[in-house]
Amino acid sequence: MKSRKTALDQGFICCHECGDLSKITDNHIHCPLCGSVLHQRLPNSLQRTAALLLSGFCLYIPANIFPIMTYTKLGVGEPHTIVGGIISLIQGDMIPIAMLVLVASILVPLLKLLGISLLLLNVHFRWQNHARKWTMMYRIIAFVGRWSMLDIFMISILVALVDLGGVAKVIAGPAATAFAAVVVLTMFAAKNFDPRLIWDKQH
Amino acid sequence: MTQINFTACPECDLLIKSTAPEVGEKAHCPRCGYLLQRPRKQSVERTFALSIAGLILIFPANLMPLMGIKVLGSTKAGTLWSGVSMLFDENMRAVAVLVFLSSIFFPLLNIVLSLLISGHLYFNKPNRHLAPWMLWLQHIDEWAMLEIYTLGIIVASVKLSSLAELNFGLGLYAFIGLLIVTGMLASSMDKFLFWQKIGKLSL
Repeated sequence: MKSRKTALDQGFICCHECGDLSKITDNHIHCPLCGSVLHQRLPNSLQRTAALLLSGFCLYIPANIFPIMTYTKLGVGEPHTIVGGIISLIQGDMIPIAMLVLVASILVPLLKLLGISLLLLNVHFRWQNHARKWTMMYRIIAFVGRWSMLDIFMISILVALVDLGGVAKVIAGPAATAFAAVVVLTMFAAKNFDPRLIWDKQH
Repeated sequence: MTQINFTACPECDLLIKSTAPEVGEKAHCPRCGYLLQRPRKQSVERTFALSIAGLILIFPANLMPLMGIKVLGSTKAGTLWSGVSMLFDENMRAVAVLVFLSSIFFPLLNIVLSLLISGHLYFNKPNRHLAPWMLWLQHIDEWAMLEIYTLGIIVASVKLSSLAELNFGLGLYAFIGLLIVTGMLASSMDKFLFWQKIGKLSL
């Protein structure tokens, strides 16, 4: 890897926002092209990612044990958790949609939380192998994160439509807030992770 | 000035000699595989045209009912806004704000910013706000979630199909049109080229 030089080694700094390359000097801290503050690496990347991730883990628990919505039919309430909603879809013979919800609201958040933890461990313990695969994992995590919002949007549609007074009504439950927070926190965690750290320790 | 001929990979910080790929080609980072640039045919013109189309479609998509249900003789229609306002009334304020931002506000801001930037670039008008606009556009990009909202509509209609009679409103067709336009908008915008042009205009 001798011939492969990073911008940092050569005294250059690449703007995080617009990708403009400028020489590292003492006096300029703003990117000449877009005006953002220049950092060699995202500031406190590991600490920020870890803090957001930890909050995400904590909220993942209430998101799964509390009801995400309550369906009231003729005065009788029927609370649903995320898992309960998937089970009722399977019982209703709607397997493909059940799989979609399973992937978006159970698998993606869980794999994301675990994946970002692994990325943090990778950088912290300076694992040397498969940097390219780790970068790929980072990209997948950053890409799929937003898709977990599916459940939140579905609830917002159901709440708006199923509002027929005493006949039928859907009310969002406390898990919706917790789940939305998990999605937002993990998206911010992925955004704060600097993939260049995976490559920095390579020698 | 050597720095003009070089660029750095945003994901692994490798210093790379700048290449100018042709339309249809892709430039990848040789070390981590990051997609550096993917030039588009008439990027500025298409972005300009598509953002105008998006601005026209966003009004019916927001204001007209997406879908309605009919249960035991009572009917109810829902727009993008009614979900947000119902969640807000049910004291799910955080979720309501998140749904508002990701399904209404950020898609609108995305289109307006694209229109402003591509319009200025198309008419070669310098503006000191071009770089901040481009920065905002990059930051809100992943928070505009129309495609995920569409999946939410699909899942919600499957859930409701066994309980009620569904009908789809004109707003839904506008919404699907908007979804296609914003998808094309995202793929027609060559950020590398846009930053280059902004740099040239501000000189």
